[in-house]
Amino acid sequence: MAEIVAAMAMTHSPGLTGWFDRASEEYQQLALNATAEMRRRLEAARPDTLVMFSNDHLLNWPINNIPEYTVGIGDEHVGPADWFDEWLGMEKYRVPGDPDLARFLVNEAARHGLSLAYLREMQFDDGISVPTHYLNPDARFRLVPVTMNCNVPPIPTPARAYAVGRVLADALRAYPAPARIAVVATGGLSHEPGGPRYFWVDEAFDRWFLDLLKAGDHERLLRECTLERMEAAGSGGTAELLSWILVLAMTQGPADVLAYMPAIAWRSGTGMVVWNELARPEGRNP
Amino acid sequence: MGNVERCDKTLPLNEMIFHVRRDAALRERWLADFEGLAREFGLSRAEFDAVQAKDPKRLMDLGVHQYYVPQILRLFFGAAQNSNASAALECYKRAYPAETAEAMALQARLEQR
Repeated sequence: MAEIVAAMAMTHSPGLTGWFDRASEEYQQLALNATAEMRRRLEAARPDTLVMFSNDHLLNWPINNIPEYTVGIGDEHVGPADWFDEWLGMEKYRVPGDPDLARFLVNEAARHGLSLAYLREMQFDDGISVPTHYLNPDARFRLVPVTMNCNVPPIPTPARAYAVGRVLADALRAYPAPARIAVVATGGLSHEPGGPRYFWVDEAFDRWFLDLLKAGDHERLLRECTLERMEAAGSGGTAELLSWILVLAMTQGPADVLAYMPAIAWRSGTGMVVWNELARPEGRNP
Repeated sequence: MGNVERCDKTLPLNEMIFHVRRDAALRERWLADFEGLAREFGLSRAEFDAVQAKDPKRLMDLGVHQYYVPQILRLFFGAAQNSNASAALECYKRAYPAETAEAMALQARLEQR
């Protein structure tokens, strides 16, 4: 049986690779230290595969047909998409996929009433590319990308993301091979990509949200961090934190907040978080 | 709810940007033959004019998904080293003067801290 061995989350704002030096040196150093610490903890956990939960920025599916979740089941993943390499300031990267695990996940989720769309060839924007640059630069870990909709109405609720996280945790653990899996959420924190408040972040919201993760009280987070509150802190962008809430469901207890920067220059509230404990399969919390 | 709720999921321009972003030939035509491209995708006169005006507010008022608005600007201005100093910022300043001024003031305060 497979095991989830690490859980972490980080912002994927394009400025983290595309125009890193436009933010202050203090922010640059914080981001470099925090991502180095994430990489150190990943290496210590020795995963075979990273299952990365991000969101599709209207790149893989046209707006007439947006699935709630999509799994990349290819043998290999290549990014960034042509439209994004210049924007992200990145050379093309190639990361081995984990098609056996990815295909199992799609079918196992269906057996539990959860519909996951899939793509054999997926295009990658900042959502997968930026975290890959920092966490898996030498492609030593295999990648299963999972994108979710968080910006085309109807946007799923935090309670839904958390429930899906529970189902996916069980599905990953049910994979009949001794695979070690790290789960990584990407996106957030506050920002409003393309909206009237495009060049703005909500530091008070971000610090409040990170404090909730530090406290580790899932019930309280789900009660207080409503979709309305996320939308008020930056429409269509802050709700990328639904991927963090999905991964939260696979953990228990307090998270370590490695860094926070209200980095308008990079285009979003920027944070890095690592959870210390994974949720036990039976002893379900909260 | 938030601004993203204002998008018109059935607006032809929202379909068009999806295809243009993924296809280098269509990206070239965006600059060389926007009129022909607009006709093929069935854009209304209002959508056509709002794109030409590069006006984020007009685009969003018509129902363009907010995420696609900077993408439209990128099709005109390019992508390299985009930042707050970019031409996109100028478009937002004109379209949303109050919101953008507030954001710029916040950024200045944060950078002095």
